[in-house]
Amino acid sequence: MLQGSPVIIQRRLPLLAAFVILIAVILFIRLWFLQAVKGEYYYDLSENNQIRPIRIKPPRGIIYDRNGRLLVENVLTFDISIVPENTPDLGKTIDALASLIQITPAEIHRALDSAASVRAKYEPAKVKEEVSWREVAVTEARHEDLPGVIVDPEHSRYYPHRGIASHQLGYIGRITREQLKREKTDRGRLSGQAGLERTYDTLLRGVSGRRMIQVNAAGMKVKDLGVEYPRPGKDLYLTIDIDVQIAAEEALGKRLGGVVAMDPTNGEVLALVSHPNYDPNLFPRGISPKDWEKLSTDPSFPLYNRAVQSVYPPGSIFKIIVALAGLDSGAITPDDEVTCKGAITYGRHSYRCWKKKGHGTLSLHRAIVESCDVYFYTMGERIGFDQIAKYARSFGLGSVTGIRLPDEKPGLIPTQAWKEKTLNAPWYPGDTYINSIGQGFDLLSPIQACQMISAIANGGFLYRPKLLKRIRNRENGKVTTFSPEHKGTIILNQKALEGVRRGLIGVVSERGGTGWAARSGLTTVAGKTGTAQVVAQKDLRKKLTGKIADHAWFVAYAPVENPTIAVAVLVENGGHGGATAAPIARKVIEEFMKSDGTKMAH
Amino acid sequence: MSGLAVGIAIIGLFAVYSATFTSQGPSSLYYKQLLWIAAGIVVMFLAIIPDYHTIGRFAYSLYIVSIVLLVLVMVVGRAGMGAQRWLSLGPIAFQPSELAKLAVVLALARYFAEDPRQSYGLTDLAKPAILVMIPLVLVLRQPDLGTALMLLLAASIVIVIAGLRIQALMVVCIVAATLAASVVLVPPVKGKVWNSLKPYQQKRIKAFLNPESDPLGSGYHAHQSKIAVGSGRITGKGFLQGTQSQLAFLPERHTDFIFSVIAEEHGLFGTGFMLFLYLALLLLGIETAKNAKDKLGALMAGGIVAMLALYVFINIGMTVGVAPVVGVPLPLASYGGTSIITTFLAIGLLSNIQMRRYMLFY
Repeated sequence: MLQGSPVIIQRRLPLLAAFVILIAVILFIRLWFLQAVKGEYYYDLSENNQIRPIRIKPPRGIIYDRNGRLLVENVLTFDISIVPENTPDLGKTIDALASLIQITPAEIHRALDSAASVRAKYEPAKVKEEVSWREVAVTEARHEDLPGVIVDPEHSRYYPHRGIASHQLGYIGRITREQLKREKTDRGRLSGQAGLERTYDTLLRGVSGRRMIQVNAAGMKVKDLGVEYPRPGKDLYLTIDIDVQIAAEEALGKRLGGVVAMDPTNGEVLALVSHPNYDPNLFPRGISPKDWEKLSTDPSFPLYNRAVQSVYPPGSIFKIIVALAGLDSGAITPDDEVTCKGAITYGRHSYRCWKKKGHGTLSLHRAIVESCDVYFYTMGERIGFDQIAKYARSFGLGSVTGIRLPDEKPGLIPTQAWKEKTLNAPWYPGDTYINSIGQGFDLLSPIQACQMISAIANGGFLYRPKLLKRIRNRENGKVTTFSPEHKGTIILNQKALEGVRRGLIGVVSERGGTGWAARSGLTTVAGKTGTAQVVAQKDLRKKLTGKIADHAWFVAYAPVENPTIAVAVLVENGGHGGATAAPIARKVIEEFMKSDGTKMAH
Repeated sequence: MSGLAVGIAIIGLFAVYSATFTSQGPSSLYYKQLLWIAAGIVVMFLAIIPDYHTIGRFAYSLYIVSIVLLVLVMVVGRAGMGAQRWLSLGPIAFQPSELAKLAVVLALARYFAEDPRQSYGLTDLAKPAILVMIPLVLVLRQPDLGTALMLLLAASIVIVIAGLRIQALMVVCIVAATLAASVVLVPPVKGKVWNSLKPYQQKRIKAFLNPESDPLGSGYHAHQSKIAVGSGRITGKGFLQGTQSQLAFLPERHTDFIFSVIAEEHGLFGTGFMLFLYLALLLLGIETAKNAKDKLGALMAGGIVAMLALYVFINIGMTVGVAPVVGVPLPLASYGGTSIITTFLAIGLLSNIQMRRYMLFY
């Protein structure tokens, strides 16, 4: 059966053919006109095409703290470059240059060779970066003897506070080959490689401009034809308070660990510390192999942001969640009593309290104040760990906080189902015990701990931790302010919350409280200590450093009536939370209280 | 047809080689393009194997997939040059809008093939119009004005071939002309439309309307391309000898302006030959559509030809300064994986329809 297509299609297709032929003929006529008729004209134009676009780099955005104090700036430096195509006798020019500035001819040759593979014709090749004023002066003065040699002004990134806040600021470096491919951008451009420099690279970098110049046959500039000005990058105002940041860095000192301070009313991060830190000034001009070797093989991982990328067993700070889960779900009442004899026995296993001779009989309040393990073993079992995990998750534990810093880790809050699925093993009552005091599988990062204590302080509001307060467009002065990002509200029984808060106040202010070292003369503080055992943990760092001492935790907020700051401190292998971490939190809170009211910008 | 396509791709490959040649030898882009062409040829033969009716049955599925990809690109895609059009699939990037245009043509072909009527009035166009508008809006949002325009034109041609009545066609043309006129002539409308464009789009349109106004600024691409094409004269400057392209005066020379490289290095002989090859390919495609054994085949083939023709003509038109610089690739010749593979897929479908024109009994 011959069907064929409908008649109308058969009639329309020749029209399409006619249309195609017509356009092809028009294009051929155009080509003939351009190439045959006016060919000579365009050929001459191409031979004398002496118009070159020169890229003008945009100045990168400046970074300030919340009060407008400088954190990252650009300083003017000068580079010396050579355009080999513009040099009649390259060898002679190189020798002449080497005799003027501090560089050997061999080094110049090496610089030219390494640039050769990425350089387009007539593009300058950098010979020496950040030359001294004297070198700039002599090179400019002897300009006539140095055809093809250029002195380029450059903006160089400078981090005046060096290691302070290095992990959230990050650093810039030569754009990697992979980024180049992805973004179709200019070669040799510097881009953010870590921290906020990377997160907000597109805001900070601005848009390149172009200068059109006409050059003569020797490649020398004859005339400026026009300029398309670069658009500078946007300035960032962070939520960081540099005074609080410095206080936190100094309080942590040489110990490894992380400190996060946050405004509990909106999630603005006031300080974020990870030690050891590094000097970001090593990077903008390309880090030397020696420095890179030192940084990347350092067993204490200075490039690692412990505040968001490291997760630790929470130890007793997790008891806040257990207490809240118990009270809020109604599984326990504030008056339920447990007698601690220094340990609890289940089957053949014995689970010890940190206080060997036991706490005697106590109820919730004193159990929090003295951080009694046996009380929380008992209550953890009564509440059930899946119920506790539900509360932990509602406080954002076990998932990333969403702070805009690279590679945040989610940590872990286990459940029965999780253990069966992942470890293919049943959930034992012993798992409930040890996880109820923040050991076992529980893992969280300092930023998560800070988010948790913020939610306790503000009555159950979960904010996404934020580092960027506002951006300013340098061209028109327009300021864009970012409002807090409210992630969710934890619906809590107010009496339960009050009960836990009273306990946290007691930790710092009552006799026998584990956190008395956080007591301050300037304000009232509520907090919780944590001492996390490392030994049972499969921790890589342990192997590397051979350290097995406990991690010290302290989470706190202040003032207790109307909290304006929440702090989380983690000191790796720091021993007892009360002895090591609590004083650090106190110093951060006190620095904040000193500056609060005088400098807080809104 | 397949042979012609491969021939064009190989000429294009040499041009890419020349356009990206460095003093260190051929660039990695050349090897990648080689790989894309090889992959494209495989795809082309794969597209011949199943009966095109089977492919027609999947037209709507393909359409839905491409819509999903377009939505995805808005959510997770990454931006390049002020627009968000790329989707990363592991190490390779991919432009869903390239796939979408083929999907729309196939979906339209299937829609009309299943409609037993001979000709259509305006009221019959509601459904096909929706079919076109969804991807069109998504592409516009990226924003990719060039591809959106291509999509609209290709779809219109398919609808006309399918049997849109002449009266209806006139009405559409008049409405379109009125709209266009109001955009240009009525200041408030003009302002609104103009402000909705990205700055680089505004510049390109200005440059097209008045190329001499600013040859170093916005019209730089078009101006340099014209110099490159014209300076090739009759015989060209020779392979690797084009000063415009070798000295990097010409931007985007391995992608959108690959034809300028061919023109500069091989002159009118080269451009005439290329134009002839494309014309032959398109006319063979139309012949395929004419001989197709049913409406589905005819419309699929017609749609593919329309789409290819638009790309070829707009791209060449842009390099010689008779069409605005809208950033569309030259099929088979420009560097770029998505375009190469999609085009080979389209050619494979054409061959498929051609091969099955006599297979009347099963």
